[in-house]
Amino acid sequence: MSLIAYLLVAVFLPLFPLSMVFNRVFAQVHNTWLRIALLVGWPLTGVALLAVLGDSPPQWLVYWGVATALLYGFRALALRDLALWLAHLATSVWALMWLPAALGQTAGTLPAALLAFAVPLALLAWLTGHLEKLFGAAYAGALGGLATDLPRLSWLLVLVVLAVIGTPLFPGFFALLGMVKELLPAMPVTAVGVLLVWMLWAWAGMRMLQGLIVGDPGGRANADIGLAHTGILGMLLAMFAAAGIWLTGSLV
Amino acid sequence: MSIPMGQNLRIRAMVYVAAEPVPYFWPMRSFIHHNPLHGLEQLPFQEAVEKGAKLFHARGFLPRSAYQRYLAEGRVDTTTLQEQVQRFIATREPALPIDVARWLMAELTNRQHSVVEPLSVADSTNVYAKLQGATTSIIEPSPQQLAAELERRLLHERPLYEAFDDLYGTTIGSDLDEQVIRACLDFFDEGQSVWDMPHREQGFFSAWLGVSGNAVRRTLAALMGTQALDAPVEAERVIALVLARLQIPENEWVGYFTRELTRLHGWAGFIRWRSNAMNYYWQQHYPGDLVDYLAVRLLLSLTLLQQQAGNRRPFTLQALREAIVDRPYARFLQLELEREGALLAMARDIEQTLQRGKASDVERLYFAYHARKGHREAQRQADALLALADQVGERAALLALSPSELAQLLTLLQDFEREEGLVWLKAMEARATAQLCDGLRLSAPPPRDKRPFAEVLFCIDTRSERIRRHLESVGDYHTYGIAGFFGVPVSFMELGKGSENHLCPVLLTPKNLVIEMSSIGVQDTAAVTALEKAMHELKESVLTPFVTVEAIGLLFGLDMVGKTLLPTTYNRWRSHLHEHKPLTHLVLDKLDREQADSIVRAVQRAVIVKAVEQEFAVEPEVITDSMIKELREAALGQRSDCPACSTLKQIDGARLEKFILRLRNAYRINPAFAQLQMERLGRIGFSLDEQTRFVAVALRSIGLTNDFSRFILLVGHGSTSENNPYESALDCGACGGAHGLVSARVLAQMANKPEVRRRLREGGIDIPDDAWFVPALHNTTTDEITLHDLELLPPSHLVYLDRLRDGLNSASRLCAQERLPSLLEDTRDLKPAAAFRAAQRNAMDWSQVRPEWGLSRNAYFVIGRRTLTQSKVLDGRAFLHSYDYRVDPKRRLLENILTGPLVVGQWINMEHYFSTVDNEKFGSGSKVYHNVAGRFGVLSGNLSDLRTGLPAQTVLDDGHPYHQPMRLITVIEAPLAHARKAIESVVAIKRLVRNGWIRLLVVDPETAMICQYDDGEWTQREFVEAEQAQDPIYTEARSA
Repeated sequence: MSLIAYLLVAVFLPLFPLSMVFNRVFAQVHNTWLRIALLVGWPLTGVALLAVLGDSPPQWLVYWGVATALLYGFRALALRDLALWLAHLATSVWALMWLPAALGQTAGTLPAALLAFAVPLALLAWLTGHLEKLFGAAYAGALGGLATDLPRLSWLLVLVVLAVIGTPLFPGFFALLGMVKELLPAMPVTAVGVLLVWMLWAWAGMRMLQGLIVGDPGGRANADIGLAHTGILGMLLAMFAAAGIWLTGSLV
Repeated sequence: MSIPMGQNLRIRAMVYVAAEPVPYFWPMRSFIHHNPLHGLEQLPFQEAVEKGAKLFHARGFLPRSAYQRYLAEGRVDTTTLQEQVQRFIATREPALPIDVARWLMAELTNRQHSVVEPLSVADSTNVYAKLQGATTSIIEPSPQQLAAELERRLLHERPLYEAFDDLYGTTIGSDLDEQVIRACLDFFDEGQSVWDMPHREQGFFSAWLGVSGNAVRRTLAALMGTQALDAPVEAERVIALVLARLQIPENEWVGYFTRELTRLHGWAGFIRWRSNAMNYYWQQHYPGDLVDYLAVRLLLSLTLLQQQAGNRRPFTLQALREAIVDRPYARFLQLELEREGALLAMARDIEQTLQRGKASDVERLYFAYHARKGHREAQRQADALLALADQVGERAALLALSPSELAQLLTLLQDFEREEGLVWLKAMEARATAQLCDGLRLSAPPPRDKRPFAEVLFCIDTRSERIRRHLESVGDYHTYGIAGFFGVPVSFMELGKGSENHLCPVLLTPKNLVIEMSSIGVQDTAAVTALEKAMHELKESVLTPFVTVEAIGLLFGLDMVGKTLLPTTYNRWRSHLHEHKPLTHLVLDKLDREQADSIVRAVQRAVIVKAVEQEFAVEPEVITDSMIKELREAALGQRSDCPACSTLKQIDGARLEKFILRLRNAYRINPAFAQLQMERLGRIGFSLDEQTRFVAVALRSIGLTNDFSRFILLVGHGSTSENNPYESALDCGACGGAHGLVSARVLAQMANKPEVRRRLREGGIDIPDDAWFVPALHNTTTDEITLHDLELLPPSHLVYLDRLRDGLNSASRLCAQERLPSLLEDTRDLKPAAAFRAAQRNAMDWSQVRPEWGLSRNAYFVIGRRTLTQSKVLDGRAFLHSYDYRVDPKRRLLENILTGPLVVGQWINMEHYFSTVDNEKFGSGSKVYHNVAGRFGVLSGNLSDLRTGLPAQTVLDDGHPYHQPMRLITVIEAPLAHARKAIESVVAIKRLVRNGWIRLLVVDPETAMICQYDDGEWTQREFVEAEQAQDPIYTEARSA
């Protein structure tokens, strides 16, 4: 019974090959708000199910989670469609959430760590939707030179991607750092795996930004987002970073 | 391991031909302005620009929006613009029921972007249907047609790895460039790196092969087959083998080489120049040429191709061709996805479908994609046409066009867009020509009863125009323009330097060597200079920087604060700490055989004294003259014994014999070397005949043959700036990118010589005894003019010196005041003295990316008397070469001016032109990202092509052109027949004028006509004097 229950959770905190469910669903959804709902709701469902189960998951599930995170992190390196990249990175992030669960942090820390990534992923989903609405798709390489054409959107895109891949000052950084710190004495090899996943995210993030932000401008200067949107999203990011330092900073 | 000599030579010849379009790149130490398309100057301007744009992937004209900005500023002649449009229409004779001229003018002046959309899938019938609101279907090409089209796009006239990258999304091209740049940086380094590449003396290809990785070696081994790799490998053979492996037909090799060379044209240009500079130290010691370079490139490219292709992908020409023919739909979609900017909405589908690879899915997607793209192209084209039609008010006429008329209109617009750059250019040049001609003066100045206070000869450089004008305004000065090397090609060896510097245009090779000497003996190095050297060495070592920063890093901080916050004060204080150059003399006179022999003997004596001191550890006072004489004669084989040496107990018989042998071999006291020294000494100085000739030609060429003043100033020019690798670009182009002071000193010294003057007098140039030639330096960054060699000035002139200095200072300040507002913000209201101080601060500011504008905005080259342009303010835009046709009946002087100064002016002009129209490709981009590489060039970032042109800060202001890119408008003041004959006899200039690289006007003072050469024919119009032009009655009559 408990194995089936864990497999059910593994659909929502996706483990390969069950992770394909999330990715297939996400690929079919084109509505931005539905995507945001998926990005926040899907893993929270998994966390809630874990809380219902009560017990800490077995260690083999942790290894499975790290392997899944590595697989999707690696796959994200080659992706050029921002929406697909987003889904792969989300899968990689959610798979890592088995670690705090295994360390018995299901109550407060796990949802906080999850939100540390879910919020920037949701913001990225919004920006992706905006780009898709403007150009039909957000496809790295084919849609280069955004920094010149859409400077405001590019700024936000860079900051959000940095938040998604867990760079310092953003909550994801503290969440991952806390996770590694907890893992290191008990499961040092797993901790190294997490660091490897982290490196893959950073690499994939830079590749994606390079394909979108850098390059020859395409003369799309009128398509940039408005000052109001920029202000709101910028404020959200700043608040998010501040809240991360305040709340998840205690994880360190 | 060699191929037949014939094949070697054939490949070398092919590389030579292939490299012709690649412009030379000279080391930055002596920046040479040049035309980036110099190799294409045999073609008409428009054709060369098109070819250059294709070769270098660059733009040959400004974008339309920039020309529209010029139009709004009144810098484009609208009448000429309309004439050019009419001329274009006349060549096409379109039969269209619309006002074509209005359409074209509207496109030029009202539309920021091109009206014609690239129709790669749709055609004019689809556009017609869209215009009519009818349904239309996009014609599907057959698989064979599609494959042929793909072959043309992918495999025609480009390196194979570019096609591979396009098809498979790899980055072999950029990876290859990176690796080649690293190899070049390692090999061609001129002392910047601490660690040298090993075995550089073996040549570029061999040295690189020695340090190349295993992958390259495996590739080479596979190419060579069973032959061993331990023997030297010829670069030519490698080239032949790689191209054979890639299956490139031999008749396409030259084109293939050209495209390889133009990918990094900066490096290729440098290597091309270097391999032809036979006397260049680094080339002599570490030889490298374009054959080596191509061998490196081709071998690396094959290695990378094989690595990326593995066993799955084709990479030879034939295999790629087959891959296209086998699966044209998939290749088309791949190409669209990787390079052509696929329809974004379908990008994901294409990627996933291609990954699955199912042929039926690919085919289905191809048809869907093709149709969608075609409809989009047709719709966009229709919308653009409608927008243009609305602007000219002919929407109904557009909609009434038949399909064939619409196709004709699209072709016409496309052709026009291809030629519009030249249309704009001509209209802009017409405006600039009119501005120049308005205000010229042909009438002679009123006769004078006394000679001017001073006659001042400036370089023809555009920056001299301002200071000449101000100097003339503050006192009784006559100014002249002459090429900054004053017509004397000099190879100069500076005091304390062991190398020669050519002070003349790069077109010339000086025969005479001038040496700078000082009467002051060898001085101790100043403490600060020694400390700086020590610091430099500490920084270059492997481990010491860590300790150095900890220990004395603070000193660097203080230095930085001083340079940044108080640049003027701090730099002045700092300069006191360094040793100053002593007063020097130039050795100008030719040595006779006896003098040369005496010098050789003196040098041999000095060497022998040092040798005895070092070899036998004796004090100099025990070494007698007779001992040295005997040793010298023994070393030269003139005697066998050395009795005077017996007084030294350290020298016994056996040791003496050994020492004499050592003198011959190690210290080079032998007859052969003495002969070589004699030959070298023979190059020093000028004979009296040569000196007289140079002075006479210089004076005659500017028309200064009588009424000599008390002071005749020869003003060379140079610049001062901090932290600026492009400093020499601001110096004198006529002096080979060096300061012009030495050339001024050389001519002054010659002209002040009584014997030279006596001979000049015999030749009809009577320079009075109280006339004195004084060399001076015009610092173009600060506008300061400093006089030199004043210790040679006759005492009778000293009383006039203050007046002279006052005049020069006033001119400098006024010039700074005029120039500064274009350079620094908020300086428009500065008084002359404050402006002068601000300019000096600017020159010392190490954070200043634009110490001066240099030759930016150059537009005119005027060959004529000063009176022609004296009443005009030319804003530092004109090269002014003084010339009086009346003293040149045989046109020799004019031919000299055309051959040297005008060609240099044209190079400068074209360098500025192309650096402005495409700063990234022909220029060198922003200085902010520049790093000095190998002590001879500049890179953007840490790895890039050598940046060859001018930086953005020299030609652009806030992203917009500061330099107005036009071809050099050349004016010759002379009778038309006189000027035409001179031009006809100088082949280089004739070609430049006929091919439209130079715009030529002749102002004929005898007929008072202006004759202009344009598109192969001369047109004439009446010349209008300055005063007459300003007369309201005349203006009214003219406009009527």
